[in-house]
Amino acid sequence: MPDAFIFDAVRTPRGIGKSSGGLYTVRPVDLLVTVLRALKERNGFNTQEVEEIIIGCVAQTGEQGTCISRFASLEAGYHYETPSYTVNRFCASALETVNQAAARVAAGWSDLLIAGGVESMSRVKMGSDVGAMFDPAAQWRVGSVPQGISADLLATLRGFTRADVDAFALESQRRAVAARGTGKFDRSVVPVKDEQGLTILARDEMPRPDASLEKLATLKPAFDMLGKQFGLDALVRRKYPQVDRVDHVHTAGNSSGIVDGASGVLIGSTEKGKALGLKPRARIRTGVSTGEEPVIMLTGPLSATRVALKKARMELKDIDCFEVNEAFAAVPLMYMQELGVPHEKLNMNGGAIALGHPLGATGAVILGTAVDLLEERNLSTALITLCIGGGMGTATIIERV
Amino acid sequence: MERTKNGAVKLDFDGQGIATLTLEMSGRANKINQEFGDGFAQGLTWAKGQQGLKGIIVATGHKDFCVGADIDMLYQARDPKRFYEQVRALQTGYRQLETCGVPVVAALTGSALGGGFELALSCHRRIALDDPKIQLGLPEVMLGVLPGGGGTQRILRMVGLQAAADLILPGKTLRPQTALEAKIIDEVCATPEAVRAAAVGWILAHPGAKQPWDEKSFKFPPPVPGTTDFRDFLLAGSGMLYKKTAGAFRAPELVLRCFHEGGLLELDRALEVEARHFVNLAVGDQAKDMLRTLWYHRTAAEKHEGLPSTDQEGIQKVGILGAGMMGAALAWQCASVGYDVVVRDIKDEVLQKAMDHCRELTKEQQKRLGEEGAKALLARISTTVAPEPLKGCDLVIEAVFEDLELKHRVTKEIEPLLAPGGIWASNTSALPITDLARASAHADRFIGLHFFSPVDKMPLLVIIMGKETSQETAARCLSFCRKIKKTPILINDGYGFYTTRVFLAYLMQGVQLVAEGHDPAVVEWGARAAGMVVGPLQVFDEVTLTLVRKAAPQAKKYGRAVEGPGIDLLIAMVDEHKRYGKAAGAGFYDYEAGKRKGLWPGLKALAKGTPTATGADVVGQRLLLAQCVEAARVMEEGILQRKRDAEVGAIFGLGFAPNTGGPLSCMDRMGIPTVVKELEALAAAYGPHFTPPKLLVAMAEKGERFFEVV
Repeated sequence: MPDAFIFDAVRTPRGIGKSSGGLYTVRPVDLLVTVLRALKERNGFNTQEVEEIIIGCVAQTGEQGTCISRFASLEAGYHYETPSYTVNRFCASALETVNQAAARVAAGWSDLLIAGGVESMSRVKMGSDVGAMFDPAAQWRVGSVPQGISADLLATLRGFTRADVDAFALESQRRAVAARGTGKFDRSVVPVKDEQGLTILARDEMPRPDASLEKLATLKPAFDMLGKQFGLDALVRRKYPQVDRVDHVHTAGNSSGIVDGASGVLIGSTEKGKALGLKPRARIRTGVSTGEEPVIMLTGPLSATRVALKKARMELKDIDCFEVNEAFAAVPLMYMQELGVPHEKLNMNGGAIALGHPLGATGAVILGTAVDLLEERNLSTALITLCIGGGMGTATIIERV
Repeated sequence: MERTKNGAVKLDFDGQGIATLTLEMSGRANKINQEFGDGFAQGLTWAKGQQGLKGIIVATGHKDFCVGADIDMLYQARDPKRFYEQVRALQTGYRQLETCGVPVVAALTGSALGGGFELALSCHRRIALDDPKIQLGLPEVMLGVLPGGGGTQRILRMVGLQAAADLILPGKTLRPQTALEAKIIDEVCATPEAVRAAAVGWILAHPGAKQPWDEKSFKFPPPVPGTTDFRDFLLAGSGMLYKKTAGAFRAPELVLRCFHEGGLLELDRALEVEARHFVNLAVGDQAKDMLRTLWYHRTAAEKHEGLPSTDQEGIQKVGILGAGMMGAALAWQCASVGYDVVVRDIKDEVLQKAMDHCRELTKEQQKRLGEEGAKALLARISTTVAPEPLKGCDLVIEAVFEDLELKHRVTKEIEPLLAPGGIWASNTSALPITDLARASAHADRFIGLHFFSPVDKMPLLVIIMGKETSQETAARCLSFCRKIKKTPILINDGYGFYTTRVFLAYLMQGVQLVAEGHDPAVVEWGARAAGMVVGPLQVFDEVTLTLVRKAAPQAKKYGRAVEGPGIDLLIAMVDEHKRYGKAAGAGFYDYEAGKRKGLWPGLKALAKGTPTATGADVVGQRLLLAQCVEAARVMEEGILQRKRDAEVGAIFGLGFAPNTGGPLSCMDRMGIPTVVKELEALAAAYGPHFTPPKLLVAMAEKGERFFEVV
């Protein structure tokens, strides 16, 4: 089976996903154009060499509708002979594109592809694609609840208190602020510029150097009203009748930030790398997705990790570095509690609580963070995983070369 | 003037070009069935054939406009294909009416309910007589079905999602004024003549009338289907609904689906979606069970079918002994329908409080009663500490503490004050009437009238015949019952009668499950998911643990031993942990300022063991079976005189799962042989209170059921 290599990984900075955010004035297509152009410029390939562009995007409606990846690639100046498609696996969309690209290389079907993702959450609101998830039939048959309710349910069932999730959030902030301040993201981050070349946003906007436990403690639970007043807590009892009371611990401060951003990863085979003079930065050992109970929804990283390790014939102790998406603080806390992974090995440069989670792009963002970490800290292996709406998990294992 | 008539409608065509379709089916009511559909369709064709037709008025020749679907037809429907075709035919007929090319007005001079109101919704304008006795609306959900004649779709398009949900989900019916405010009718008039004149006037002024949804410019009242607003509203709506139903009731869920799935479509096709969901409910078991009890049995009980009757009630002055919450509300209820009431208590402050409560209740009804009415009502209630003012009462209802000696004493003291032929009634919830009557000088006029708290809201009245109670006494009390607007069940004597026994079985089974180690939260949810209105621990807190704890020795005296791990846990709760219930601020739940705060965390520790199997299903089934077996025993002992009472009593008296139709329907649905087998297994594992009574065993052997199969 041919090896699939990561030659490069880039991303835009993450801008706060509101009308006051740094990337609010930028079209989602332009976020994607930024990373596609950067990949081309940094690696100097002829765009006709790229056999496919696979892009994750969750809210595929409005400006992000009609296969955004195809039009971003054309606007970015890629040759029209390079096809493209857009993928929605909710929060793991971009990691899914990495896995699909790697699988094509491993199958010997393709030699050079781009994976990645885009989401402008300030311009195309989360959930604005409406969809099947909260169709009344799905709610009553499946018990679909908003993820925040699932996150609070997860915390309730696993006994994570408000203090636990806030403490985790503060550490995420601390690590992200430190990493940003010492240039740890510089290798990957490509500034977003206007057509005159003026910089619109050059670095991640979200991390808060002034974060403190006191400040975090003042934030109101984000899903309390939804759960109690609007009765959504009751919907979880079909599956979890023992949950008399959902402990609403998650706030805007200990959940992933709503941000705008895009990511891109150049993936290919040994031969293609040699032919184009590209230096492999990491090998993709395996990529998997799993399904989990959909009401609690966020436990996917556990099964995805177990399956990925098995497929890669590895054990947990073989992994040096874990990137577990911080959709909500309870998710990485669950991961550490269940698998016994120490916090030192997990999200070393902070995570989405501090830096933000541009839904469709995050998978490739944190993959890039892992590639940088392997090089920076001289580590060998990393596992990247995300929880997914509807109860799924995706994981990818990479290895430095 | 042209005139003709068919089996459903009388047809007139006047000189102004207005055709009137007057619904006038044989019998006293207009109801929707095949005859109605055929007659109406023919009438419409006839009207359309009239030269110079300017408009159509749909009116009624009966007291009501149209009371909705023929329940017999609905109840019998089992073949989905056939029933779907029938529903579609009705929908098509209504659609033809609203697209017939001339303005159509519904003249609502009587109640329009369900399919009858849906007919009105298919008219371009609805004009109602301003009479508060008239009811308008879509009560289908209450009977386990949904409005299948276009009601979910037209209401949604008329008033938007929120108002449509508020109207249809609880099955609300509105008086004309309220319906006007809710914008589901367009106009009210003071007299039937004015209704007709307004209809004619409107027709002549609106020659091109169309339904809003048939206009090109139609805009959905927000939120618009398919938008995030609509989705968000439905998301919250589903949550709130699920919190209420625990998923036990199918109809409200399918109404939401009609809104969502139909809202996205053109009306013509949306009706198909509604018809599918309606048929799904109508041919299903839940609707059958709910219709049987909540329609047939309830109506029969309300009409006193098969019960003794008299035109000589002979009750004007009512005495009430004991002025607690129950006594006060009872006094108010009696006074509100014109009885003179004397309330007696030994404590003056209790009487003060009782009057305060009566004033509060009056205030709640101020609008209906009017100032004069409210004053007169309160003037009919007097209070006393001394017994003398009770002199001349035609009926005394004794509501003192549940103590045989005390009740005997009170009877001896007050009974002589009764007017000649006066009736003595005890509001006891358990003590045998025959025993209480021992203190009476005339046991033939001694009866049990068991009311439920809060009296002004709970519809049920259990009337208990002591051994010597006369049929005449029962008949007079039934007349009284009708006047105070209660639904009666008439049963024989025996400790705990019917409802108290089944209720106690429910409470104690809840506690036993906790004692066995089932998670209390699962017990509570399992009960609600099975359809019980309130979880056993929550309702136990409300009746107070001490009450049952104290009643246990008394029950034993009557051969109703309360034993097993349940009673041990109850004793521990009361005696050791001093958790007495809601009023005391601590019971199975914790309370803060009277508000429930969550299950007491210490409760789990009182469990003795771990159950081999648990879960909401396991627990829910046990809770239902514990009540079903007790109901069967009461039946076997001859305390229940009729099966109807078992169903009506359980649902309206103790909040038994309405989705099942009652304990007997519930056993029919599970299958009596299955019930017997399960009960035998439960008896082996958890004690003799599960042992199936002979009645059930015999029924299982003979392949009998309580009610006929539909």
